[in-house]
Amino acid sequence: MSVRSAVLSQFKQVAQEQNKKLAPLSDDLPLSESGLDSLCFAIIVTRLEDALGVDPFTSTEQTEFPVTLADFIRFYEDAAK
Amino acid sequence: MRNVLVTGGSRGLGLGIVRRLAAAGYRAIAVARKESDPLRSALQEAERDHPGSLRFVAFDLAEIDAIPRLVRALRKEFGPIYGLVNNAAVGFDGILALMPTSQIEQLVRVNTLSPIVLTKHVVRSMMADGGGRIVNVASVVGFTGYSGLSVYAATKASIIGFTRSLAREVGRMGVNVNSVAPGFVDTDMTRGLKAEQRQQIERRSALQRLPGIDDVACAVEFLLGDGAKSITGTVLTVDAGNTA
Repeated sequence: MSVRSAVLSQFKQVAQEQNKKLAPLSDDLPLSESGLDSLCFAIIVTRLEDALGVDPFTSTEQTEFPVTLADFIRFYEDAAK
Repeated sequence: MRNVLVTGGSRGLGLGIVRRLAAAGYRAIAVARKESDPLRSALQEAERDHPGSLRFVAFDLAEIDAIPRLVRALRKEFGPIYGLVNNAAVGFDGILALMPTSQIEQLVRVNTLSPIVLTKHVVRSMMADGGGRIVNVASVVGFTGYSGLSVYAATKASIIGFTRSLAREVGRMGVNVNSVAPGFVDTDMTRGLKAEQRQQIERRSALQRLPGIDDVACAVEFLLGDGAKSITGTVLTVDAGNTA
């Protein structure tokens, strides 16, 4: 499974589990308008760590946060390199 | 078997907690720097009476940067983590005016920063797994005064504040977060108390004695159990009535 498809499938699964209405997933979708809240993102990050073996948000130097869905996917693609 | 991590599980209160949890049907995972002789006996005893109920993992909780790796390794080895007992702490006493900054830093690092970072990584997995329990070991010194313990008290008060707000944050994800606040209990940490101070504490307690390690371990077991499913964000004081 590619990084992109792993991320997209977690967005859909967590939205369903948490009864959130997910916005249509496009690259330029701002995460703040995705319909998911911060707890949903915590779950997504944990599950992606299990699936991909990386957590781009844990490194102590990491201070930048992704704004759009494409940024979020890029964080994982870069961390998985 | 539900997995419960207990930091500082090799001696004192932590050892009492892992013994009780192992006997109660949990798999208690004692995380501590070194395996002590009493823990070694407890491991043998647990293996004989309830196989698989007690495990030891060597880790120095002051190594904050290594905590994410620890949690990943624990989940890989043992599976989902049901409970976390943040018990490990250091208890230097001394008047603030003379306390070296390095000691103040160590108190804050081990008693506040480390449990918060550990909780961050464990609670994420609890949320992803659909729920869990966190019990933070605070102290009555977090809400009453005791000369010579100002920095220790600051770290314990911080744990109570952390408990309350985190309980609000993760409640809807099925995670309960509570604190236990023991009074002075006979452990290595309180060995520095003079007989006279100890008697004074006993005399000022409603029950005229100090609580025992097992009294505190019972409170932790209760907060992890099904009977405490509707309790979150609170502090359970176990001090034989010292602060009543």
